[in-house]
Amino acid sequence: MQAAHTAPSKLRAVSLYVFAVVLVLTATYLSLVFQVKLGNPFWLLFPVAVITSTWYCGKGPGWVAVGLSTLSVLYFFIPPDRSLAIKPEDIPFFLVFVACALISNWLIGWRKSTEDSLKRARDELELRVEERTAELKTSNEALVAQIEEQRRTEAALQVTRTELARVVRITTIGGLTSSIAHEVNQPLAAVVANADACVAWLSREKPDLAEARAAAERTIQGATRASEVIVRIRSLISKATPERAQVAINDTITQAVALADGQAFRNNVSVISELGPNLPAVMGDGIQLQQVTLNLLMNGIDAMSNTNNHPRELVVRSELQDSGQIHVSVRDSGVGLSAEVLARLFEPFFTTRSKGIGMGLPTSRSIIEAHGGKLWAEPNQPHGAVFQFTLPSVEGPSR
Amino acid sequence: MKEPESIVFVIDDEKLIRDGLQSLLKSVGLRVETFASAHDFLAAKRSDAPACLVLDVRMPGLSGLDLQLKLIEDNIQIPIIFITGHGDIPMSVRAMKEGAHEFLTKPVRGQDLLDAVQKAIAGDRGLRKERSELAGIRARFDSLTPREKEVLDLVVAGLLNKQIADELGTSELTVKTHRAHVMEKTQADSLAHLVRMAERLKATLRK
Repeated sequence: MQAAHTAPSKLRAVSLYVFAVVLVLTATYLSLVFQVKLGNPFWLLFPVAVITSTWYCGKGPGWVAVGLSTLSVLYFFIPPDRSLAIKPEDIPFFLVFVACALISNWLIGWRKSTEDSLKRARDELELRVEERTAELKTSNEALVAQIEEQRRTEAALQVTRTELARVVRITTIGGLTSSIAHEVNQPLAAVVANADACVAWLSREKPDLAEARAAAERTIQGATRASEVIVRIRSLISKATPERAQVAINDTITQAVALADGQAFRNNVSVISELGPNLPAVMGDGIQLQQVTLNLLMNGIDAMSNTNNHPRELVVRSELQDSGQIHVSVRDSGVGLSAEVLARLFEPFFTTRSKGIGMGLPTSRSIIEAHGGKLWAEPNQPHGAVFQFTLPSVEGPSR
Repeated sequence: MKEPESIVFVIDDEKLIRDGLQSLLKSVGLRVETFASAHDFLAAKRSDAPACLVLDVRMPGLSGLDLQLKLIEDNIQIPIIFITGHGDIPMSVRAMKEGAHEFLTKPVRGQDLLDAVQKAIAGDRGLRKERSELAGIRARFDSLTPREKEVLDLVVAGLLNKQIADELGTSELTVKTHRAHVMEKTQADSLAHLVRMAERLKATLRK
């Protein structure tokens, strides 16, 4: 490889010198041919040979061209012809010629080398620019890939979060089976009582059709209500992607209270609803907001299960704040929150209950935050705790 | 005195159930009054008649069990038929201990309810009769003078007139006169009747 590389470059060097010699010989020949016709054109031809040699072949061949030209001029064109001797009166002329040749050779060489280094610099610059462009391109591609990756991760996170909310919801509902049984059983009891009454009126010796009809109509109402309850509970469990619609927060609260009712009754807790009138709607997922409310209610009931020296009251309140936010609070008079519990309340898997999984509050908080609101807890006076959240209403700040 | 017409009180917070039960009971000719809450029932003026209460255990505010305790506290005697959802066993036990007449699970079969209501009203009718009889006995016994009461106690204890006279330090004749007054005032037909009445009174006092 090394040998193969040096052999042609040596050959090239030699050819450059040969080219310089050929140039000078050509200048000599042309000067001799046209000496008589044009009158000593060597003035012009030899500098051309020297400059060309230096420009194209480099400094070494240039110097050779200068030397040969000097000898040729001395030999052929400075009297006496065909001799290297020189007459004293021709010496200045000869010296000027040599000086011109030397200076032009030097100047051209300098110019050439400057140009070469300039060219090299330019080439190098171009190379660098190319390299940097390539680097930029790679890092840009990496960035795009990273953004895409992050987008995918976020989408996956969203799916996981929704799924987690659903699992927590189902877990919460699991603790509500008696409530749900009651919710379904009530309208069924109405159906049976009214159907029985209807049959009884028809079976009388003289059937009372008006009473029978009224009872039949109530039967239909009861059955309709039973199916509505089932639809509502199914929607709590079903795997629906969160939707964004206008939600009447008071309806959400009322439904959550109905679901928690059994638990409250069993724990001797009275639930007091103080719902603000004419509240504007909030944008969001009704089921998820119901889940949050239900979670807070269940926590409140649980906190009072050992309360005996004052009334077990759970107050759920909704109101519109001046900022245009809807504020919902759930106030219990239970065990309250120690500083340690308060600090860790929203940590995943933190629970003070033997049966809790510790995901209720973290999930609730993330749901509320996803709705653009805030959820927090404070101690209640004189007993218990207040859990509360805000949600932006569709109306915005009041004037 | 003619017995007033019997009445069934239905207390349930659920209007559809309330209306259904009322209609069912009315269809067999019963008089029915309905209330949406235990408070409404307590606040209402109730007619004095043989009655029974059909009561939902689970209601907001005052629950069925709370009402039962309140009635016992206020010495209002009325048979209660509780209606409950499934799985309220501890509650049922508590209610039965406090003397609930019947316990039916939701949804209630019409015939079961009618049977329970008829039985409860019949029971109440009997109780009311007994109560009014007792009240009569007590009134009559209360009209006795202290001396007559002493004689009564000793008669009921099985002592002869002579022994009573010795016990009270008086003559046998005087005892005989007192004894005649006692029999007259208490409207006793015989000594056996007098003893039975005295025993019934004692039994209620012990309670």
